[in-house]
Amino acid sequence: MRPDMSIDFLGLKLKNPVMPASGCFGFGKEYAKYYELNKLGAIVVKATTQQARLGNPTPRVAEVWGGMLNSIGLANPGMEKVISEELPWLQSYDIPIIVNVAGETIEEYCIVVDRICKSNLAHAIELNVSCPNVEHGGLSFGADIKVLTGLLEAVRRVCTLPLIVKLSPNVRDIGEIALAAQASGADGLSLINTLLGMKIDINTGRPVLARAVGGLSGPAIKSVGIRMVYEVAKQVKIPILGIGGIYSAEDLIEYIMAGATAVQVGTANFTNPMAIPEIVAGLDEYMGRKGIKNLAEIRGCAL
Amino acid sequence: MKVEIIRNYELVKGIWQMDITGNFPYDKVEPGQFIHIRVGEGYDHLLRRPISIAEVDPEKSLLTVVYKIVGEGTKWLALQRAGAALDILGPIGNGFITQKSRRSLVVGGGIGTPPLYELTKQLVGKSEQVDVFLGFRTSADVFWLERFASLADVRVFTEDGQRGSRGFVTQGIISQLSEDENTWDNIYACGPVAMLRAVKEIIQNMKIGGGASLEERMACGVGACHGCTCKTAGQVSKRICVDGPVIPWQEVAL
Repeated sequence: MRPDMSIDFLGLKLKNPVMPASGCFGFGKEYAKYYELNKLGAIVVKATTQQARLGNPTPRVAEVWGGMLNSIGLANPGMEKVISEELPWLQSYDIPIIVNVAGETIEEYCIVVDRICKSNLAHAIELNVSCPNVEHGGLSFGADIKVLTGLLEAVRRVCTLPLIVKLSPNVRDIGEIALAAQASGADGLSLINTLLGMKIDINTGRPVLARAVGGLSGPAIKSVGIRMVYEVAKQVKIPILGIGGIYSAEDLIEYIMAGATAVQVGTANFTNPMAIPEIVAGLDEYMGRKGIKNLAEIRGCAL
Repeated sequence: MKVEIIRNYELVKGIWQMDITGNFPYDKVEPGQFIHIRVGEGYDHLLRRPISIAEVDPEKSLLTVVYKIVGEGTKWLALQRAGAALDILGPIGNGFITQKSRRSLVVGGGIGTPPLYELTKQLVGKSEQVDVFLGFRTSADVFWLERFASLADVRVFTEDGQRGSRGFVTQGIISQLSEDENTWDNIYACGPVAMLRAVKEIIQNMKIGGGASLEERMACGVGACHGCTCKTAGQVSKRICVDGPVIPWQEVAL
Protein backbone atom coordinates (compact mmCIF):
# COMPACT_ATOMS: atom_id res chain seq x y z
CA MET A 1 0.00 0.00 0.00
CA ARG A 2 1.30 3.43 -0.93
CA PRO A 3 1.91 5.83 1.92
CA ASP A 4 -0.74 8.51 2.36
CA MET A 5 0.93 11.88 1.83
CA SER A 6 -2.30 13.84 2.04
CA ILE A 7 -2.93 16.25 4.85
CA ASP A 8 -5.75 18.34 6.15
CA PHE A 9 -4.76 21.96 6.52
CA LEU A 10 -7.30 24.50 7.76
CA GLY A 11 -10.13 22.43 6.29
CA LEU A 12 -8.37 22.18 2.94
CA LYS A 13 -7.48 18.76 1.63
CA LEU A 14 -3.92 18.74 0.31
CA LYS A 15 -2.67 15.80 -1.79
CA ASN A 16 0.76 16.23 -0.27
CA PRO A 17 2.40 18.64 2.16
CA VAL A 18 4.53 20.55 -0.36
CA MET A 19 3.72 23.97 -1.76
CA PRO A 20 5.88 26.70 -3.27
CA ALA A 21 6.80 29.65 -1.08
CA SER A 22 5.34 32.99 -2.08
CA GLY A 23 7.55 35.00 -4.40
CA CYS A 24 9.45 31.95 -5.59
CA PHE A 25 6.85 30.67 -8.01
CA GLY A 26 5.22 33.72 -9.57
CA PHE A 27 1.57 32.86 -10.18
CA GLY A 28 2.44 29.38 -11.37
CA LYS A 29 2.51 29.88 -15.15
CA GLU A 30 6.28 29.70 -15.50
CA TYR A 31 6.57 26.37 -13.69
CA ALA A 32 3.52 24.91 -15.43
CA LYS A 33 5.86 24.63 -18.43
CA TYR A 34 8.00 22.24 -16.44
CA TYR A 35 5.38 20.03 -14.79
CA GLU A 36 1.71 19.49 -14.10
CA LEU A 37 0.79 21.90 -11.27
CA ASN A 38 -1.61 19.30 -9.88
CA LYS A 39 1.50 17.71 -8.40
CA LEU A 40 1.61 20.54 -5.85
CA GLY A 41 -0.02 20.17 -2.46
CA ALA A 42 -1.20 23.76 -2.87
CA ILE A 43 0.02 26.91 -4.54
CA VAL A 44 1.05 30.09 -2.76
CA VAL A 45 1.17 32.93 -5.24
CA LYS A 46 3.31 36.05 -5.28
CA ALA A 47 2.61 38.76 -2.73
CA THR A 48 -0.29 40.85 -3.93
CA THR A 49 -0.73 44.52 -3.07
CA GLN A 50 -3.50 46.98 -3.88
CA GLN A 51 -1.62 48.80 -6.64
CA ALA A 52 0.96 47.37 -9.02
CA ARG A 53 4.53 47.53 -7.71
CA LEU A 54 7.68 47.53 -9.86
CA GLY A 55 9.88 46.53 -6.92
CA ASN A 56 13.38 47.62 -5.97
CA PRO A 57 16.27 48.66 -8.22
CA THR A 58 18.54 45.88 -9.53
CA PRO A 59 20.68 43.99 -8.67
CA ARG A 60 17.99 42.38 -6.56
CA VAL A 61 19.51 38.94 -6.18
CA ALA A 62 22.91 37.70 -5.10
CA GLU A 63 24.29 34.28 -4.43
CA VAL A 64 25.90 33.66 -1.06
CA TRP A 65 27.33 30.50 0.43
CA GLY A 66 24.53 28.03 1.04
CA GLY A 67 21.84 30.41 -0.09
CA MET A 68 20.91 33.62 -1.79
CA LEU A 69 19.92 37.17 -0.97
CA ASN A 70 16.93 38.84 -2.56
CA SER A 71 15.51 42.32 -2.41
CA ILE A 72 12.74 42.05 -4.99
CA GLY A 73 10.51 44.47 -3.09
CA LEU A 74 7.10 42.86 -3.65
CA ALA A 75 6.95 43.44 -7.40
CA ASN A 76 3.45 42.42 -8.54
CA PRO A 77 0.76 43.57 -10.98
CA GLY A 78 -1.66 44.72 -8.26
CA MET A 79 -4.82 43.00 -6.97
CA GLU A 80 -7.13 43.79 -9.88
CA LYS A 81 -4.79 42.24 -12.42
CA VAL A 82 -4.10 39.31 -10.10
CA ILE A 83 -7.85 38.70 -9.91
CA SER A 84 -8.55 39.21 -13.60
CA GLU A 85 -5.44 37.65 -15.16
CA GLU A 86 -3.70 35.30 -12.76
CA LEU A 87 -6.14 33.58 -10.40
CA PRO A 88 -8.77 32.55 -12.99
CA TRP A 89 -6.18 30.54 -14.90
CA LEU A 90 -5.25 28.60 -11.76
CA GLN A 91 -8.85 27.45 -11.24
CA SER A 92 -8.39 24.69 -13.80
CA TYR A 93 -6.04 22.93 -11.40
CA ASP A 94 -7.19 20.76 -8.55
CA ILE A 95 -5.06 22.52 -5.92
CA PRO A 96 -5.90 24.95 -3.13
CA ILE A 97 -4.86 28.51 -3.98
CA ILE A 98 -3.31 30.56 -1.21
CA VAL A 99 -2.91 34.25 -1.95
CA ASN A 100 -0.12 36.06 -0.17
CA VAL A 101 -1.19 39.61 0.71
CA ALA A 102 1.08 42.53 1.56
CA GLY A 103 0.44 46.18 2.25
CA GLU A 104 1.90 49.41 3.50
CA THR A 105 -1.01 50.29 5.78
CA ILE A 106 -3.68 48.39 7.72
CA GLU A 107 -6.21 49.82 5.29
CA GLU A 108 -4.36 48.45 2.27
CA TYR A 109 -4.10 44.97 3.80
CA CYS A 110 -7.85 45.02 4.51
CA ILE A 111 -8.77 46.22 1.02
CA VAL A 112 -6.71 43.51 -0.66
CA VAL A 113 -7.85 40.71 1.68
CA ASP A 114 -11.48 41.74 1.24
CA ARG A 115 -11.15 41.89 -2.55
CA ILE A 116 -9.42 38.48 -2.77
CA CYS A 117 -11.98 36.84 -0.43
CA LYS A 118 -14.91 38.24 -2.43
CA SER A 119 -13.37 37.15 -5.74
CA ASN A 120 -14.07 33.50 -4.85
CA LEU A 121 -10.83 32.64 -6.60
CA ALA A 122 -8.76 31.72 -3.54
CA HIS A 123 -8.95 29.19 -0.74
CA ALA A 124 -6.84 30.89 1.91
CA ILE A 125 -4.96 34.10 2.61
CA GLU A 126 -1.35 34.24 3.70
CA LEU A 127 -0.69 37.59 5.31
CA ASN A 128 2.83 38.82 4.66
CA VAL A 129 3.98 40.71 7.74
CA SER A 130 7.59 39.77 7.27
CA CYS A 131 8.99 41.13 4.01
CA PRO A 132 12.36 42.68 4.85
CA ASN A 133 12.67 44.46 1.50
CA VAL A 134 10.22 47.34 1.66
CA GLU A 135 10.38 50.78 3.28
CA HIS A 136 6.83 50.71 4.58
CA GLY A 137 4.77 47.78 5.77
CA GLY A 138 6.21 44.29 5.55
CA LEU A 139 8.42 43.45 8.48
CA SER A 140 7.37 46.55 10.40
CA PHE A 141 3.97 44.86 10.89
CA GLY A 142 5.41 41.57 12.02
CA ALA A 143 8.10 42.62 14.45
CA ASP A 144 5.96 44.43 17.01
CA ILE A 145 3.20 42.64 18.91
CA LYS A 146 0.99 45.70 19.29
CA VAL A 147 1.18 46.62 15.62
CA LEU A 148 0.64 43.01 14.54
CA THR A 149 -2.36 42.59 16.83
CA GLY A 150 -3.92 45.79 15.48
CA LEU A 151 -3.43 44.60 11.91
CA LEU A 152 -4.77 41.10 12.50
CA GLU A 153 -7.85 42.30 14.33
CA ALA A 154 -8.68 44.59 11.41
CA VAL A 155 -7.95 41.97 8.74
CA ARG A 156 -9.89 39.30 10.62
CA ARG A 157 -13.05 41.39 10.31
CA VAL A 158 -12.91 41.30 6.50
CA CYS A 159 -11.22 37.94 5.97
CA THR A 160 -13.75 35.21 5.23
CA LEU A 161 -11.11 32.64 4.25
CA PRO A 162 -8.63 30.78 6.46
CA LEU A 163 -6.00 33.30 7.52
CA ILE A 164 -2.35 32.27 7.63
CA VAL A 165 0.20 34.73 8.98
CA LYS A 166 3.74 34.55 7.61
CA LEU A 167 6.24 35.43 10.31
CA SER A 168 9.71 36.89 10.20
CA PRO A 169 12.74 35.36 11.88
CA ASN A 170 14.12 38.90 12.35
CA VAL A 171 12.46 39.26 15.76
CA ARG A 172 13.57 38.95 19.39
CA ASP A 173 11.09 36.25 20.39
CA ILE A 174 9.27 34.33 17.66
CA GLY A 175 7.14 32.46 20.22
CA GLU A 176 5.72 35.68 21.59
CA ILE A 177 4.83 36.92 18.09
CA ALA A 178 3.27 33.56 17.17
CA LEU A 179 1.13 33.53 20.30
CA ALA A 180 -0.01 37.08 19.60
CA ALA A 181 -0.94 36.13 16.04
CA GLN A 182 -2.92 33.13 17.30
CA ALA A 183 -4.71 35.27 19.88
CA SER A 184 -5.66 37.89 17.26
CA GLY A 185 -7.28 35.49 14.87
CA ALA A 186 -4.64 33.73 12.81
CA ASP A 187 -5.80 30.27 11.72
CA GLY A 188 -2.32 29.14 10.79
CA LEU A 189 1.29 30.33 10.64
CA SER A 190 4.00 30.25 7.99
CA LEU A 191 7.58 30.45 9.17
CA ILE A 192 10.18 31.52 8.45
CA ASN A 193 10.48 34.36 5.96
CA THR A 194 14.04 35.38 5.05
CA LEU A 195 16.76 36.52 7.42
CA LEU A 196 18.26 39.93 6.73
CA GLY A 197 21.67 39.60 5.14
CA MET A 198 24.20 41.48 3.08
CA LYS A 199 27.01 40.88 0.60
CA ILE A 200 29.79 43.26 -0.39
CA ASP A 201 31.70 43.07 -3.66
CA ILE A 202 35.26 43.36 -2.40
CA ASN A 203 36.46 44.52 -5.82
CA THR A 204 34.23 47.57 -5.84
CA GLY A 205 33.86 47.94 -2.09
CA ARG A 206 30.11 48.33 -2.60
CA PRO A 207 27.12 46.19 -1.59
CA VAL A 208 26.11 43.75 -4.34
CA LEU A 209 22.40 44.47 -3.93
CA ALA A 210 21.21 47.90 -5.05
CA ARG A 211 19.31 48.21 -1.79
CA ALA A 212 22.38 47.01 0.14
CA VAL A 213 20.51 44.50 2.32
CA GLY A 214 18.23 41.63 1.39
CA GLY A 215 16.57 38.47 2.62
CA LEU A 216 18.71 35.38 3.03
CA SER A 217 17.12 32.10 1.99
CA GLY A 218 18.24 28.60 1.08
CA PRO A 219 19.90 25.71 2.93
CA ALA A 220 21.92 28.22 4.99
CA ILE A 221 18.79 29.11 7.00
CA LYS A 222 17.28 25.65 7.41
CA SER A 223 18.48 25.12 10.96
CA VAL A 224 17.05 28.51 11.96
CA GLY A 225 13.71 27.56 10.41
CA ILE A 226 13.68 24.19 12.16
CA ARG A 227 14.47 25.80 15.50
CA MET A 228 11.74 28.43 15.09
CA VAL A 229 9.07 25.95 13.95
CA TYR A 230 10.01 23.75 16.93
CA GLU A 231 9.82 26.67 19.35
CA VAL A 232 6.49 27.91 17.97
CA ALA A 233 4.94 24.45 17.71
CA LYS A 234 5.55 23.96 21.42
CA GLN A 235 3.46 27.05 22.16
CA VAL A 236 0.63 27.38 19.65
CA LYS A 237 -2.35 25.21 18.76
CA ILE A 238 -2.76 26.39 15.16
CA PRO A 239 -1.03 24.55 12.28
CA ILE A 240 2.34 25.64 10.98
CA LEU A 241 3.77 25.73 7.47
CA GLY A 242 7.53 25.20 7.74
CA ILE A 243 9.74 27.23 5.41
CA GLY A 244 13.47 27.65 5.04
CA GLY A 245 16.05 25.80 2.98
CA ILE A 246 13.99 22.77 1.99
CA TYR A 247 15.76 21.00 -0.88
CA SER A 248 14.85 17.37 -0.24
CA ALA A 249 12.29 15.04 1.30
CA GLU A 250 14.67 14.64 4.25
CA ASP A 251 14.57 18.41 4.88
CA LEU A 252 10.77 18.25 4.74
CA ILE A 253 10.67 15.36 7.23
CA GLU A 254 12.81 17.39 9.62
CA TYR A 255 10.27 20.24 9.53
CA ILE A 256 7.38 17.81 10.09
CA MET A 257 9.21 16.33 13.07
CA ALA A 258 9.71 19.87 14.41
CA GLY A 259 5.93 20.26 14.34
CA ALA A 260 5.06 21.61 10.89
CA THR A 261 1.86 20.40 9.21
CA ALA A 262 3.17 21.10 5.72
CA VAL A 263 6.03 22.97 4.11
CA GLN A 264 6.84 25.58 1.51
CA VAL A 265 9.72 25.32 -0.94
CA GLY A 266 11.33 28.53 -2.16
CA THR A 267 14.92 28.88 -3.32
CA ALA A 268 15.12 25.23 -4.43
CA ASN A 269 12.81 26.09 -7.35
CA PHE A 270 15.51 28.40 -8.71
CA THR A 271 18.23 25.79 -8.47
CA ASN A 272 16.01 23.17 -10.04
CA PRO A 273 12.63 23.97 -11.60
CA MET A 274 11.60 20.36 -10.90
CA ALA A 275 12.40 20.69 -7.18
CA ILE A 276 8.86 20.33 -5.85
CA PRO A 277 7.77 17.22 -7.81
CA GLU A 278 11.14 15.65 -6.98
CA ILE A 279 10.67 16.39 -3.26
CA VAL A 280 7.14 14.93 -3.41
CA ALA A 281 8.46 11.77 -5.11
CA GLY A 282 11.23 11.62 -2.52
CA LEU A 283 8.70 11.87 0.29
CA ASP A 284 6.63 9.05 -1.15
CA GLU A 285 9.75 6.92 -1.38
CA TYR A 286 10.92 7.88 2.12
CA MET A 287 7.57 7.11 3.75
CA GLY A 288 7.39 3.78 1.95
CA ARG A 289 10.91 2.84 2.99
CA LYS A 290 10.37 3.84 6.63
CA GLY A 291 6.90 2.33 6.86
CA ILE A 292 5.26 5.67 7.62
CA LYS A 293 1.62 5.41 6.57
CA ASN A 294 0.64 8.97 7.41
CA LEU A 295 2.65 12.05 8.32
CA ALA A 296 0.63 12.40 11.54
CA GLU A 297 2.70 9.48 12.87
CA ILE A 298 5.83 11.63 12.96
CA ARG A 299 4.46 15.15 13.18
CA GLY A 300 6.01 16.98 16.10
CA CYS A 301 7.80 13.87 17.33
CA ALA A 302 10.82 16.00 18.23
CA LEU A 303 8.80 18.23 20.53
CA MET B 1 18.31 18.85 -19.12
CA LYS B 2 21.60 17.00 -19.04
CA VAL B 3 24.08 17.70 -21.82
CA GLU B 4 27.65 16.66 -22.43
CA ILE B 5 30.71 18.85 -22.73
CA ILE B 6 32.64 18.22 -25.95
CA ARG B 7 35.33 20.88 -25.61
CA ASN B 8 36.13 23.55 -23.04
CA TYR B 9 39.13 25.78 -23.59
CA GLU B 10 40.52 29.26 -23.10
CA LEU B 11 40.29 31.59 -26.11
CA VAL B 12 42.11 34.58 -24.64
CA LYS B 13 42.96 35.29 -21.03
CA GLY B 14 39.88 34.72 -18.88
CA ILE B 15 37.53 34.01 -21.80
CA TRP B 16 36.53 30.41 -22.47
CA GLN B 17 34.68 28.57 -25.18
CA MET B 18 32.57 25.54 -24.38
CA ASP B 19 30.96 23.25 -26.94
CA ILE B 20 28.23 20.99 -25.69
CA THR B 21 25.97 18.36 -27.16
CA GLY B 22 22.81 16.61 -26.13
CA ASN B 23 19.09 16.43 -26.68
CA PHE B 24 18.74 20.18 -27.21
CA PRO B 25 16.27 21.95 -29.55
CA TYR B 26 19.07 23.45 -31.67
CA ASP B 27 16.85 24.50 -34.54
CA LYS B 28 14.57 26.47 -32.23
CA VAL B 29 17.31 28.82 -31.02
CA GLU B 30 16.87 32.53 -31.67
CA PRO B 31 20.13 34.47 -31.65
CA GLY B 32 20.42 36.27 -28.31
CA GLN B 33 18.78 33.54 -26.25
CA PHE B 34 20.68 32.00 -23.35
CA ILE B 35 21.04 28.79 -21.40
CA HIS B 36 20.86 28.70 -17.60
CA ILE B 37 23.70 26.53 -16.34
CA ARG B 38 23.90 24.76 -13.00
CA VAL B 39 27.39 25.17 -11.55
CA GLY B 40 29.16 23.47 -8.66
CA GLU B 41 28.38 20.39 -6.63
CA GLY B 42 25.84 20.00 -3.84
CA TYR B 43 24.99 23.32 -2.23
CA ASP B 44 28.13 25.16 -3.42
CA HIS B 45 26.17 27.30 -5.86
CA LEU B 46 22.41 27.49 -5.71
CA LEU B 47 21.82 29.90 -8.56
CA ARG B 48 22.36 28.93 -12.14
CA ARG B 49 24.50 31.07 -14.43
CA PRO B 50 22.86 32.60 -17.51
CA ILE B 51 25.20 32.35 -20.50
CA SER B 52 24.31 33.50 -24.01
CA ILE B 53 24.27 31.03 -26.84
CA ALA B 54 27.10 31.90 -29.20
CA GLU B 55 26.37 29.37 -31.92
CA VAL B 56 24.23 26.36 -32.65
CA ASP B 57 24.92 23.72 -35.24
CA PRO B 58 21.79 21.56 -35.58
CA GLU B 59 23.49 19.18 -38.00
CA LYS B 60 26.33 18.38 -35.62
CA SER B 61 24.06 18.71 -32.56
CA LEU B 62 26.42 21.29 -31.16
CA LEU B 63 25.79 24.26 -28.91
CA THR B 64 28.58 26.73 -28.22
CA VAL B 65 28.85 29.26 -25.42
CA VAL B 66 31.64 31.70 -24.66
CA TYR B 67 31.99 32.90 -21.09
CA LYS B 68 34.23 35.06 -19.00
CA ILE B 69 35.54 33.94 -15.64
CA VAL B 70 34.15 36.51 -13.25
CA GLY B 71 33.54 34.54 -10.07
CA GLU B 72 33.40 31.14 -8.44
CA GLY B 73 30.63 29.83 -10.72
CA THR B 74 32.40 30.55 -13.99
CA LYS B 75 35.68 29.38 -12.43
CA TRP B 76 33.98 26.02 -11.82
CA LEU B 77 32.73 25.98 -15.41
CA ALA B 78 36.28 26.43 -16.70
CA LEU B 79 37.39 23.41 -14.65
CA GLN B 80 34.96 21.07 -16.40
CA ARG B 81 36.50 18.71 -18.90
CA ALA B 82 35.29 17.09 -22.11
CA GLY B 83 32.94 14.23 -21.37
CA ALA B 84 31.53 15.80 -18.22
CA ALA B 85 27.78 16.27 -17.86
CA LEU B 86 26.23 19.69 -17.53
CA ASP B 87 22.75 20.54 -16.23
CA ILE B 88 21.20 23.33 -18.31
CA LEU B 89 17.83 24.94 -18.92
CA GLY B 90 16.99 26.53 -22.22
CA PRO B 91 16.97 28.02 -24.70
CA ILE B 92 15.47 30.89 -22.72
CA GLY B 93 14.25 34.37 -23.58
CA ASN B 94 13.42 36.54 -26.53
CA GLY B 95 16.31 36.91 -28.94
CA PHE B 96 17.11 39.34 -31.73
CA ILE B 97 14.43 39.58 -34.38
CA THR B 98 15.98 39.13 -37.78
CA GLN B 99 14.05 40.13 -40.84
CA LYS B 100 14.57 40.88 -44.51
CA SER B 101 16.35 44.20 -44.69
CA ARG B 102 18.73 46.32 -46.72
CA ARG B 103 21.61 46.85 -44.33
CA SER B 104 22.15 45.92 -40.68
CA LEU B 105 24.74 46.75 -38.07
CA VAL B 106 25.82 44.32 -35.38
CA VAL B 107 27.59 46.01 -32.45
CA GLY B 108 29.42 44.10 -29.76
CA GLY B 109 31.62 44.94 -26.83
CA GLY B 110 33.93 42.49 -25.07
CA ILE B 111 32.18 39.46 -23.63
CA GLY B 112 28.95 40.80 -25.19
CA THR B 113 30.09 39.75 -28.65
CA PRO B 114 29.53 35.94 -28.64
CA PRO B 115 25.71 35.89 -29.08
CA LEU B 116 26.20 38.23 -32.01
CA TYR B 117 27.98 35.47 -33.88
CA GLU B 118 24.84 33.34 -34.20
CA LEU B 119 22.94 36.55 -34.95
CA THR B 120 25.33 37.48 -37.76
CA LYS B 121 25.07 33.95 -39.14
CA GLN B 122 21.29 34.22 -39.27
CA LEU B 123 21.33 37.80 -40.60
CA VAL B 124 23.50 37.00 -43.58
CA GLY B 125 21.06 36.23 -46.36
CA LYS B 126 18.22 38.14 -44.72
CA SER B 127 19.96 41.47 -44.67
CA GLU B 128 21.52 42.44 -47.99
CA GLN B 129 24.52 43.85 -46.17
CA VAL B 130 25.73 43.14 -42.65
CA ASP B 131 28.32 45.31 -40.91
CA VAL B 132 29.90 44.16 -37.68
CA PHE B 133 31.59 46.58 -35.26
CA LEU B 134 33.36 44.88 -32.38
CA GLY B 135 35.01 46.66 -29.47
CA PHE B 136 37.58 45.25 -27.06
CA ARG B 137 39.68 46.81 -24.33
CA THR B 138 43.08 45.80 -25.74
CA SER B 139 44.36 43.74 -28.64
CA ALA B 140 44.95 40.89 -26.18
CA ASP B 141 41.23 40.71 -25.48
CA VAL B 142 40.19 40.21 -29.09
CA PHE B 143 38.62 36.84 -29.89
CA TRP B 144 36.54 35.23 -32.66
CA LEU B 145 37.47 38.00 -35.07
CA GLU B 146 38.20 35.59 -37.90
CA ARG B 147 34.92 33.81 -37.32
CA PHE B 148 32.98 37.06 -37.65
CA ALA B 149 35.11 38.13 -40.62
CA SER B 150 34.18 34.93 -42.44
CA LEU B 151 30.54 36.05 -42.33
CA ALA B 152 30.54 39.80 -42.78
CA ASP B 153 32.50 43.04 -42.96
CA VAL B 154 34.07 43.56 -39.55
CA ARG B 155 35.57 46.67 -38.00
CA VAL B 156 37.47 46.32 -34.74
CA PHE B 157 37.98 48.99 -32.13
CA THR B 158 40.38 48.74 -29.21
CA GLU B 159 40.92 51.28 -26.49
CA ASP B 160 44.70 51.08 -26.92
CA GLY B 161 44.52 51.18 -30.70
CA GLN B 162 46.83 48.15 -31.06
CA ARG B 163 44.28 46.40 -33.19
CA GLY B 164 41.81 48.06 -35.55
CA SER B 165 40.79 51.61 -34.82
CA ARG B 166 41.61 53.29 -31.54
CA GLY B 167 38.54 54.12 -29.49
CA PHE B 168 35.01 52.88 -29.09
CA VAL B 169 32.57 51.28 -31.49
CA THR B 170 30.27 54.23 -30.98
CA GLN B 171 32.75 56.50 -32.77
CA GLY B 172 32.43 54.30 -35.84
CA ILE B 173 28.64 54.49 -35.62
CA ILE B 174 28.61 58.26 -35.23
CA SER B 175 30.93 58.90 -38.16
CA GLN B 176 28.98 56.62 -40.48
CA LEU B 177 25.59 58.02 -39.46
CA SER B 178 26.81 61.59 -39.86
CA GLU B 179 27.54 60.75 -43.48
CA ASP B 180 24.24 58.96 -44.02
CA GLU B 181 21.56 58.73 -41.38
CA ASN B 182 19.85 56.01 -43.39
CA THR B 183 22.84 53.69 -43.47
CA TRP B 184 21.23 50.97 -41.38
CA ASP B 185 17.67 49.65 -41.07
CA ASN B 186 18.55 47.78 -37.89
CA ILE B 187 21.20 47.94 -35.23
CA TYR B 188 21.69 44.97 -32.92
CA ALA B 189 23.86 45.37 -29.85
CA CYS B 190 25.25 43.43 -26.92
CA GLY B 191 27.93 44.65 -24.54
CA PRO B 192 28.55 46.88 -21.53
CA VAL B 193 25.64 49.07 -20.42
CA ALA B 194 27.70 52.21 -21.17
CA MET B 195 28.03 51.07 -24.79
CA LEU B 196 24.33 50.22 -25.12
CA ARG B 197 23.37 53.55 -23.60
CA ALA B 198 25.66 55.43 -26.02
CA VAL B 199 24.21 53.58 -29.02
CA LYS B 200 20.68 54.30 -27.84
CA GLU B 201 21.50 58.00 -27.50
CA ILE B 202 23.03 58.17 -30.96
CA ILE B 203 20.05 56.60 -32.71
CA GLN B 204 17.13 57.70 -30.56
CA ASN B 205 15.77 60.22 -33.06
CA MET B 206 16.39 58.05 -36.08
CA LYS B 207 14.23 55.39 -37.65
CA ILE B 208 16.41 52.43 -36.79
CA GLY B 209 15.08 49.07 -35.65
CA GLY B 210 16.73 46.26 -33.75
CA GLY B 211 17.49 46.16 -30.06
CA ALA B 212 19.88 45.68 -27.20
CA SER B 213 20.63 42.53 -25.27
CA LEU B 214 20.69 43.15 -21.53
CA GLU B 215 22.31 41.38 -18.63
CA GLU B 216 21.40 41.21 -14.97
CA ARG B 217 21.99 38.99 -11.96
CA MET B 218 19.39 36.26 -12.25
CA ALA B 219 17.85 33.70 -9.97
CA CYS B 220 15.16 31.46 -11.47
CA GLY B 221 15.73 32.22 -15.17
CA VAL B 222 12.15 31.21 -15.95
CA GLY B 223 10.34 34.47 -15.20
CA ALA B 224 9.01 33.57 -11.77
CA CYS B 225 11.16 35.44 -9.27
CA HIS B 226 11.34 38.94 -10.78
CA GLY B 227 14.99 39.19 -9.76
CA CYS B 228 16.29 40.40 -13.13
CA THR B 229 13.79 43.05 -14.12
CA CYS B 230 14.51 46.29 -15.94
CA LYS B 231 12.42 49.37 -16.36
CA THR B 232 11.31 50.10 -19.88
CA ALA B 233 9.74 53.09 -21.58
CA GLY B 234 6.47 53.92 -19.89
CA GLN B 235 7.72 52.66 -16.52
CA VAL B 236 6.77 49.11 -17.31
CA SER B 237 8.89 46.44 -15.74
CA LYS B 238 10.23 43.62 -17.89
CA ARG B 239 11.94 40.44 -16.81
CA ILE B 240 15.26 40.26 -18.59
CA CYS B 241 15.22 36.43 -18.56
CA VAL B 242 11.95 35.80 -20.36
CA ASP B 243 10.73 39.19 -21.68
CA GLY B 244 14.33 39.95 -22.75
CA PRO B 245 17.24 39.56 -22.82
CA VAL B 246 16.84 41.45 -26.10
CA ILE B 247 14.67 44.55 -25.75
CA PRO B 248 13.77 46.72 -28.78
CA TRP B 249 15.45 50.16 -28.82
CA GLN B 250 12.19 52.06 -28.46
CA GLU B 251 11.34 50.18 -25.26
CA VAL B 252 14.69 49.84 -23.57
CA ALA B 253 15.52 52.29 -20.78
CA LEU B 254 19.24 52.31 -20.02
